[in-house]
Amino acid sequence: MNATLPLFRRAFFDTWRSTLGWAAGLAAAAFLYLPLYPSIGGSAQMQDMVNALPAEMTKALNYDQIATGPGYAQATLFGLLGFLLMTIASVAWGAAAVGGDEESGQLELTLAHGVRRVQVVLERALALFLRVVLLSGLVFVLVLVLNEPSQLGIEPANLFGAAVLFAGLALLSGTAALCVGAVTGRKTYGLAAGAAVAVLGYVFNAVGRQSPDVEWLLNLSPYHWAYGNSPVVNGADWAAAGWLWGLSAALVALAAVALEQRDVGA
Amino acid sequence: MATAVSARSLVKRFGRREVLHGVDFEVEAGTVFGVIGPNGAGKTTTMRCLLDIIRPTAGEVRVLGTDPRAGGPELRRRIGYLPGELFLEGRVTGRKLLAHYQAISGPVPRGRINELADRLGLDLDRHTRKLSKGNKQKLGLVQAFMHEPELLVLDEPTGGLDPLVQQEFHAMVREAKHRGQTIFLSSHVLSEVQQTADTVAILRDGRIITVESVEGLREGAVRRVRLTTHGIAAHDAVALLSGIPGVGQVQVLEADGAVTLSAVLEGAIQPLIRMLGSLELTDLVLDEPDLEEAVLKMYAVPREDAR
Repeated sequence: MNATLPLFRRAFFDTWRSTLGWAAGLAAAAFLYLPLYPSIGGSAQMQDMVNALPAEMTKALNYDQIATGPGYAQATLFGLLGFLLMTIASVAWGAAAVGGDEESGQLELTLAHGVRRVQVVLERALALFLRVVLLSGLVFVLVLVLNEPSQLGIEPANLFGAAVLFAGLALLSGTAALCVGAVTGRKTYGLAAGAAVAVLGYVFNAVGRQSPDVEWLLNLSPYHWAYGNSPVVNGADWAAAGWLWGLSAALVALAAVALEQRDVGA
Repeated sequence: MATAVSARSLVKRFGRREVLHGVDFEVEAGTVFGVIGPNGAGKTTTMRCLLDIIRPTAGEVRVLGTDPRAGGPELRRRIGYLPGELFLEGRVTGRKLLAHYQAISGPVPRGRINELADRLGLDLDRHTRKLSKGNKQKLGLVQAFMHEPELLVLDEPTGGLDPLVQQEFHAMVREAKHRGQTIFLSSHVLSEVQQTADTVAILRDGRIITVESVEGLREGAVRRVRLTTHGIAAHDAVALLSGIPGVGQVQVLEADGAVTLSAVLEGAIQPLIRMLGSLELTDLVLDEPDLEEAVLKMYAVPREDAR
């Protein structure tokens, strides 16, 4: 009972293999995509090819600005593969934090010890936040390192803002998974909720950009809140960042309240 | 004597399914209290209520003088709990896992974890998910006992343990009792409980059928009697034996020359002994009471009669 934040330390340090694995995946994505920019994204042929694609497709894939360095990093790394990897990592951790732990039968024993349920949720959420921030920080550093050699020409300040939004977007899915896992005690429901937030956000963005008639969909898309103005190109929309992080915090609070109220393992 | 645990009219409903229908019991501090009952009787549910893992629908629970709901972490640090189904996953060694539980329980005396692990023959440096069921159970016992809690709540503690380790476990329970700790344990068979428990409660279908000392159970249990005697006619011997209170099912096994009879005895043995003094016995076998059978009989009693 002497050490501080025992549940956080367990959740954070005992998953180092997983954290390392996702870090390696994100690093691979950065090293695969970004050095290709001078030969693909920046070339005139690429722009011709993008122009030849149906406009709907370009919009759906956020390839409209792919011919500039920041636009290329935005569309490929932050908007596609990085987004995918970060979301999966965050949702998996979020769903495992409470719902998965309960389903595997281990939460019961933890709660039989000298801990409060609110404390369990908060410390494990902290471990989720920290891991996501760590991975986003890694992406920030890698892009910064590759900025010069890959001739991307990204403003570091814009990159920082994009990394904050990148983390916030992944956290929203992850905390949705954590919250639904804590409410239901089922890992699968948590995973489904986290995936739904991410996939629907992506789809609403892709569809909403197609025509003014369906533009309202964009308001429902966390993906669009984060990336609607291409933060790597134009700098972050800090209000959107506030929403993503704020909603994530609210979902954690909801999870804590829900777990406090109900029977565990029943 | 102080009461360590008590439940009054404890009711638990999960949705429309009522699992506990008003359970009452009291556990004196410093004693070993065994709950036995068939699977699904409500043993685990009762124990989870003591730890505030699930909340009673109605009724009152007191653990070490407090309501578990209000007691919070401070109360649970004074309890050691072993869940009925123990799941230990993850790529951590037993030592690391115990260090984690140590951080969230009451203070653990130095060297206590190694001492317990040695006693139970548990290798603390192996990864928990590679441990056999029995070894996981040992790890569960260590985390329950290590902080020498005032109250131990052990759900089917000997499951998966080999007989030698079971003996060691019984010794640990006796030592804990000598130290003044209270032990609340459950099993679905009596033989596990009777070696250590002072009092046994029988739980069936969410109700306590009976709370009885192990001595009391022994008295109420059925013994088999077989005797061989000389100089008496078989039917006289049968009549004599049948006249004793508690004796039944008298049978003649042999009647040429020596008479051999068998019977079952329920209740006190003194009247039987007195009668035997008047016979010329050549052989007498009085079995150990079959508590298991007594308990099985209680399980089988229809619910209306049980109350």
